[in-house]
Amino acid sequence: MKQPQSVLAKTISTPVILIALLVVIAILTALFGSGSFARTVTEIFIRVAFVVGLYIFIGNSGVISFGHAGFMCIGAYAAAWFTVPPMMKKVLLPGLPEIVSNAQLPFLGSLVLSSFLAALVALLVGLIMMRLAGIAASIATFAFLAVINTVYANWESVTAATSSVVGIPMVTGVWTSLFGASAAILIAYFYSISRWGLALRAARDEDIAASASGVDIYRQRLISFVISAFVCGMSGVLYAHYLGVVNPDAFYLGITFISLSMFVVGGMSSLSGAVLGVVIISAIIQILRWFEKGIDIGGLTLELPNGIQEIAIGVVMIVILVFRPAGLLGKREVLLKGWPFKRRTAD
Amino acid sequence: MTAVLQILFDALAVGSIYALGALGIALIFGVMRLVNFAHGDYIAFCVFAMLVPSTDVVAIVLIGKLPAILLIPIILLIGAVISVLSEMLVFRHLRNANPATMMICSFALGFVIQHVLLMFYSSRPKAINLWSNLSLPVEIFGARIPLLQLLTIIITFVILVALMWFLKRTRYGLEMRAAAEDFTMARMLGVRANRVIMTAFAVSGLLAASIGLILATQTGVADIRMGMPIMLVAFVATVIGGLGSLPGAVICGLLIGAASVLLQVFLPLDARPFRDAFLYSAVILCLLWRPDGIFAPRSAKQRV
Amino acid sequence: MSLLSVRDISVHYGQLAALRGVSISMDEGETLFVTGPNGAGKSTLLKAIAGAVRPSSGSISLADKVISGQPPEQTARLGFSMVPEGRHVFGSLTIEENLRLGTGIRADKDRIEGDLETVYEVFPMLAERKDGQAGVLSGGQQQMLVIGRALMAGPKLIAIDEPSLGLAPKVIDQVYDTLLKLRDSRGLTLLIVEQSSTRAMLTGGRMVLLRGGKIVLEGDARELANDESLRRAYFGFGEH
Ligand SMILES: Nc1ncnc2c1ncn2[C@@H]1O[C@H](COP(=O)(O)OP(=O)(O)OP(=O)(O)O)[C@@H](O)[C@H]1O
Ligand SMILES: [Mg+2]
Repeated sequence: MKQPQSVLAKTISTPVILIALLVVIAILTALFGSGSFARTVTEIFIRVAFVVGLYIFIGNSGVISFGHAGFMCIGAYAAAWFTVPPMMKKVLLPGLPEIVSNAQLPFLGSLVLSSFLAALVALLVGLIMMRLAGIAASIATFAFLAVINTVYANWESVTAATSSVVGIPMVTGVWTSLFGASAAILIAYFYSISRWGLALRAARDEDIAASASGVDIYRQRLISFVISAFVCGMSGVLYAHYLGVVNPDAFYLGITFISLSMFVVGGMSSLSGAVLGVVIISAIIQILRWFEKGIDIGGLTLELPNGIQEIAIGVVMIVILVFRPAGLLGKREVLLKGWPFKRRTAD
Repeated sequence: MTAVLQILFDALAVGSIYALGALGIALIFGVMRLVNFAHGDYIAFCVFAMLVPSTDVVAIVLIGKLPAILLIPIILLIGAVISVLSEMLVFRHLRNANPATMMICSFALGFVIQHVLLMFYSSRPKAINLWSNLSLPVEIFGARIPLLQLLTIIITFVILVALMWFLKRTRYGLEMRAAAEDFTMARMLGVRANRVIMTAFAVSGLLAASIGLILATQTGVADIRMGMPIMLVAFVATVIGGLGSLPGAVICGLLIGAASVLLQVFLPLDARPFRDAFLYSAVILCLLWRPDGIFAPRSAKQRV
Repeated sequence: MSLLSVRDISVHYGQLAALRGVSISMDEGETLFVTGPNGAGKSTLLKAIAGAVRPSSGSISLADKVISGQPPEQTARLGFSMVPEGRHVFGSLTIEENLRLGTGIRADKDRIEGDLETVYEVFPMLAERKDGQAGVLSGGQQQMLVIGRALMAGPKLIAIDEPSLGLAPKVIDQVYDTLLKLRDSRGLTLLIVEQSSTRAMLTGGRMVLLRGGKIVLEGDARELANDESLRRAYFGFGEH
């Protein structure tokens, strides 16, 4: 096996480039962007964090998960529990335990604690579900999402059911979300070059060989599941502090599928693919939105009818996948050496 | 006694719809390892095809006014056509892609269909009145069952029998079953890949259209998202039935329908809103018990 | 013109070259044995002919029609029938359904029932359980089924990847008897992959030896099988 040291030296440029890209976007936004554009960029960064969380599990294990929006949900509601002013909580969420409803944590405290809660839940359900592989595991994660959604959408006294929980401090902006996305990228990167990440990818590519060589697939999957849940939970916290309100349906099928699509379009087995998938698809969406509002080109106003944006984005994704079934990046990562792209074999 | 009968009919009626959905998903999965997330949108598409494009709350029925004997075949045909078209335009170009890619494409396709409908009909659910006299109850052994519920069960049963006959007794059926199990080997024995896949899509589209008709009559509403929940349950049923097993898909569709009705009836009042949580927990347990599905064919290899 | 002609084909799996410029040609009614060590590319050669893998260069034609690049179902229609490595029984179908699956492409429909009889005679246990699920058969029984299935397609050319695998010696004899009978009565052409040369010695015909994706030796089966050069070439001693 290679020494982690040399892998680090060879691949560290990947997270650096990715984070640099996000930093450039943030700086440009701060310099030239309008308020609404800054909000869009914030949303994109939160999405980057979430999809990178997906990458940690799906990219390394090869198991498609439909369940990670559940962790986002857990993180977001936990953020609400920890940061909404106690006065409001006692009225809105009378079922919360005393110790929680009296607490009002600062943002960072809520971020860490809530993300840990998501990871803890992942550990508990993962102990059961990570025994499964392939599509059975995918369905189990979907079932998990359905359970989480049902619980959060109906547990009146703790989650306010389908009515939104309001009063969460709106502290997530471009820089906070940039911090979150960068943290996610670093966690994903260091995980994927760690012995755990290597072992899990080996298991993904060569099931029998890996288990013959002593890789405990169950354990490795579980580790990756928990870490990815932590990151997805974190993205949920950021989202809650961005919107100021949480609502269970924000964390159900819509976000699951859109995020998975961005992830697959970017390239399922690549961290760079996860980040670039989100950035590219979001950019296309944004451009289409501008066109829907009408754009002046040399005195000519080009205006697309409403609704075209969604149709177009669907078509664009299909076309990309038809021509690049493994996604835009496939298994490759952006690397400085051998610019612009170099194959990074995952062994 | 009559209460039991009532529950039984409820369970069968709900389960029937899931079974039809699961069958549609399983057929496609069998021949090309595709989990077709657009299936639910075919259902909605077929329902909206009966209406004049408008944003009003009350739907203006266009071909929906035709007598049933014309309307039903036309809607079935529309279902088959949109399903086959999506094969030709999208999935054919993805034959060698991995299952995740195909799945995401099917989702993207569903997304496109949804938003096309949205553009023409707006997102408001519309009241739609098809054969309203079908909601009148009939009395069976003292239980009052809506006629439509009875019809749903009968129609499902007829469709299942017809499909079984098709699969077991015709050359097409034999080729389809073989292709579902080992596609390359079937081709090496002369089975025409394109024909089999198109047939599977056509049949799957027919099933989606029948679900659309039943749902529209039952609920009296046309909603762009009406197919989604059915599709999801059907997907789950297909997997716990054993991917590649059509009878498994049908039985598990029925089982899930029955389980949801039974939970609804027997859960304590406080727990009732959480019904789906119980249902999906049961799904997870079921997967742990039999990861390859309850009725997985012996030679089934997991390729996803 | 020969029935099958493989001209200078190469097959790649990713970077790995499994076949490197292989040519063979077969006349109708001929028997050709392909032998060679593990990983030599024998199965790949059959798959390339069947159309299950695409050659990266070269061409293949069957009955004067180019089949390389054509889908497998097209090749099957020209009279090519194959027993691939790894059996590939349709487990959820019945035994008889397995046997009948390949008959859809036959022009001589009137011969189907007779051929079914023949298969059942050679493998009586298939007849006994003809309505049972094929998935429950033992390994050797599955091997009988797939050989029977390939014959039921009424081929001009049958390609069998290691017919002896998992079969009792007596059954192997029966299989070969049947194949040779069909060769003599109908002009069936036999393309057979075998690891050992003993069978080739008994049966006669031509033989090619593949190693490292290339044909390293070619000639009369009986002569080669007795020849020291075969063993040398097999293990690669003779190379410079
Ligand atoms: N699907 C595949 N993907 C990648 N490599 C393959 C594949 N199939 C075969 N190979 C490689 O191609 C080479 C030739 O394989 P092939 O199966 O043709 O050998 P063979 O002569 O039939 O061997 P055996 O006697 O063991 O059956 C081997 O090195 C094998 O590893
Ligand atoms: Mg072989």
